[in-house]
Amino acid sequence: MKTKWFLIIIPILLILVLLQSYFWVPTYEMQSKGNPERLAKFISASIADAKILNPILNADSASSQITGQVFDSLLDHDEELNLRGRLATHWNITEIAYLTVNSAMQFPDGVFITGLELKKRIEQLINQGILPQVKKIEILAPKQQIKLVHLADDSPIKVKINIPERLAIHLETVNQNFFNLLEPIIGKNYENKANIEQWVESEQVLSLEQLAKLIPIFEHNPIISFYLRQGVLFHDGHEFDADDVKFTYESIMEVKNLSPRSSDFEPIKSIDIIDNYTVQVTYKRLFSPAINAWGIGILPEHLLNTATLKQEMKERQLSESAQDNFGMRDSRFNRHPIGTGAFRFVEWKGDEFIHLSRNENYWDGAPYYKEYYYRIIPDSVTQEVEFLTGAVDNYSPEPHQVVRYKKDDNYQSFSSLSFAYSYIGYNHRRPLFADKRVRQALSLAINIDQIIKYILYGEGKRITGPYPQNTQWYNSEIKPVPYNPAKAKQILNELGWKKNKHGWLEKDGKEFEFNLITNNGNLQRKAIMTIAQNSWHKLGIKCNTQVFEWAVFLTDFVNTGQFDAVVLGWSMGIDPDLFQIWHSSQSGHQQLNFIAYNNPLVDDLIVKIREEYDIERQQQLTHQLHHILADDYPYTFLYSPLSNIVLDKKIVVFNQNGSYSPITPTKTGNLFFHFNRWKKLEFTPDF
Amino acid sequence: MLSYIIRNLLQRCVLLFIVSVLAHSIVHLAPGEPSEVDPSNPRMQPEDIAKIRTAFHLDDPIHLQYFYWMRDLFSGELKSFKDSQPVLPKIWERFLNSLPLFICATLIVWTLAFPTGIQAAIRRGSFYDRGSTFIAYALISIPGFFLSYIMILWVVELFGVPVIGMRTFGMEDAHPLYQIMDRIWHLVIPSLMSALAGIAILSRYVRSQMLEVIGQDYVRTARAKGLDQDTVIYHHALRNALLPFVTLFGFLLPGLIGGSVIFETIFAWPGLGRLGYEAIMARDFPIILTINFIVAALTLIGTFLSDILYAVVDPRIRLE
Repeated sequence: MKTKWFLIIIPILLILVLLQSYFWVPTYEMQSKGNPERLAKFISASIADAKILNPILNADSASSQITGQVFDSLLDHDEELNLRGRLATHWNITEIAYLTVNSAMQFPDGVFITGLELKKRIEQLINQGILPQVKKIEILAPKQQIKLVHLADDSPIKVKINIPERLAIHLETVNQNFFNLLEPIIGKNYENKANIEQWVESEQVLSLEQLAKLIPIFEHNPIISFYLRQGVLFHDGHEFDADDVKFTYESIMEVKNLSPRSSDFEPIKSIDIIDNYTVQVTYKRLFSPAINAWGIGILPEHLLNTATLKQEMKERQLSESAQDNFGMRDSRFNRHPIGTGAFRFVEWKGDEFIHLSRNENYWDGAPYYKEYYYRIIPDSVTQEVEFLTGAVDNYSPEPHQVVRYKKDDNYQSFSSLSFAYSYIGYNHRRPLFADKRVRQALSLAINIDQIIKYILYGEGKRITGPYPQNTQWYNSEIKPVPYNPAKAKQILNELGWKKNKHGWLEKDGKEFEFNLITNNGNLQRKAIMTIAQNSWHKLGIKCNTQVFEWAVFLTDFVNTGQFDAVVLGWSMGIDPDLFQIWHSSQSGHQQLNFIAYNNPLVDDLIVKIREEYDIERQQQLTHQLHHILADDYPYTFLYSPLSNIVLDKKIVVFNQNGSYSPITPTKTGNLFFHFNRWKKLEFTPDF
Repeated sequence: MLSYIIRNLLQRCVLLFIVSVLAHSIVHLAPGEPSEVDPSNPRMQPEDIAKIRTAFHLDDPIHLQYFYWMRDLFSGELKSFKDSQPVLPKIWERFLNSLPLFICATLIVWTLAFPTGIQAAIRRGSFYDRGSTFIAYALISIPGFFLSYIMILWVVELFGVPVIGMRTFGMEDAHPLYQIMDRIWHLVIPSLMSALAGIAILSRYVRSQMLEVIGQDYVRTARAKGLDQDTVIYHHALRNALLPFVTLFGFLLPGLIGGSVIFETIFAWPGLGRLGYEAIMARDFPIILTINFIVAALTLIGTFLSDILYAVVDPRIRLE
């Protein structure tokens, strides 16, 4: 008898205890009543958890979002995407150009070349006003060096080199054409005529390329001098200075740290500390995007140097083998970062949240929000649900949800162009796509406006080339490819493709047939694939489509170049460097120019853009590059998606005088640019 | 008895070894690479990737990789690829998060399944019996994640309170009692949802066990003695029907670790299931393999315990 009641009462009690808790939980409207501090907290949500909270070690977006708040960089980009000083108040860029004195050669007037004479003649040019930017010229004495050289089969050999006399010419601005200006003195082809072998003692024969690397005849060494902000404190009270900058660079280059950012800093030759607040960075060669690398967060040297790491190792009592491999990557710092940023780190609970609190002493003024929570919610539906109940303050709606939120008065919604685009890429190794007109016909046949309208619900913009539309590099004069299947048909007919009895286009007994592939898990790409297949089918092109799991897609098809055409997307950075994606040298295994695009004009422009330090000139070059690429149809450039964010309408931006106004994104679409002046109101304002 | 235990334990150790070798090979042979060596960053050079590969022993022969894994696991120095954190503390922390969810769900399953199953057996063929059978099969066949989404949307739409995660954010300054209740509320829906299928299956099980026992001679004898219905059912029948459920306790143990991947992902619950899921997505081999190893070990321990328990509660069974 007792058993019966026991069996019935226990579950009822359990359920009652559980369900009554509902009455204690606040709804969206009630959350700030009895809990006014809620208004000073910003709660954000992310699909993925952070991995490692160290700006030089992380490569994922969740981690970099957090380190972006905790760490400051020397510089970043302002509303117009121009560089803006942060920990560096200002900087200037100069250059040292090195000229190797080749005493085996003569001046055009027959006199043998010596360092002294060369210097004298260059000074004459300066006096004539032909070389205006030269500050001073030094003669460097000859010296000997022993270097390791890797042969073609990767075996290293020691090589003795006798570096001849060199001139170091200090320039006020960087000029990639500087040595051309010296032609009146040294004549044309000074660089190519030199016989470098005479200065190198080696047991094996070296290639010309290797020789040129050992003793370059012309060498550009751009120099950036950073002037640092004084009196900036790390969150633990230690003052930031030039040592921290140098330490950050050295940590990135330290092999043991496996920094994913090391390639960005590879062009650096040396970093010199001039005084506590001045750092001079010397580069090995012309590479203008290199300055953007300084957008990296600056690490506190005093917390991560060898002595501190050793101390930590001792405290954690690690085994011998673990001690041998112990490096910055293993430090506790990566889970308790300390920087100079607007927010200080408080707590990280894996897969649950990361908690930051404002830095009251922030040099740029403390943020208005007191607390910053970064929640990890791995599912977009539940993210939306949390947003609707007020437990998260922002949400990025899917394209089909955008209209609903725009209509709702409780929310403010924003859409801006993202730094990404989708495309259909044709494998240029295939003879089928060798002719530009074929690619043009394929592009003409696809109605991209309809793709944007029906697949993206209008949340995308057409693009015509390889740059983000909201940067100055994008050439907006170029018209998008129109939808014109009739013209596509005509072009293919002119090229000799005629319909056969089965209705397929045929030329020399071969049908126009290829495979279009993409990765699994991206519904938009799958839909684009179907639309493209159908559009080409109407022309009589047999296009077979297939979807592969990401890993298989990469290893079996993209990395090996074994595909005909792909639907894919790129997300891009702010700098105008397109080397990895478009330069013909980058089409090997696992490289990013996997369509094997090869155009000498483009190669030349890409290199020129990398070596140009003047932004206006750079812009001219990128517009030219954009034009050439758009005209060559290497991809069918599809669209750049809009990224959407919805916020609670109570969140506003406060102005300096205490009044508030609605949040507006910058011209380039960065909604969070003024984040430090955001705050939540107790009531919904009527804007 | 003792010799049985020793023999059995040894067998299980061999089995555990085989399972770990199999799991290790499957994980390593599956396509895909740890995200750290999968260059999504266009600036990453092949040399950098090669360095990471060496540090992770990815290019060593597979048996060596197995050896390194086992060595690091037992010396406690096994580190996750993803964040270089030691694996075991990480798993322990997640285990503590999963624990309340597991306990709550298990309580709901075991307390609800018995009364519903027993009632269905007593009123065999009645409207209640057929109704509960129908509902049970519906709950077994409808995917849990689907029901969860419906439930979440319904609760949020109707009551407007947060249900995701372990607690409501932004409530850190509220009264502690509110915070405790808030945590309980966040337990309710995920544990209820993950318990549903369990209730359905277990109550079916209880029903069939009860039916079998009710048909036995001794139950008829009990009735013939003139005992009332409740005494017959709850005193004589239920005790004997309970026997097979002892074995089920053994299977609870691995469930403790395996957790519920789906529910933890949907409800953003930072538990073990999610740790495993994220690790699989990022091909974080040390985490995947270690969780797998622990689950295998617990399964073997669990079945071993239920064997022993069975012998203890059922005098008819003797272990040789």
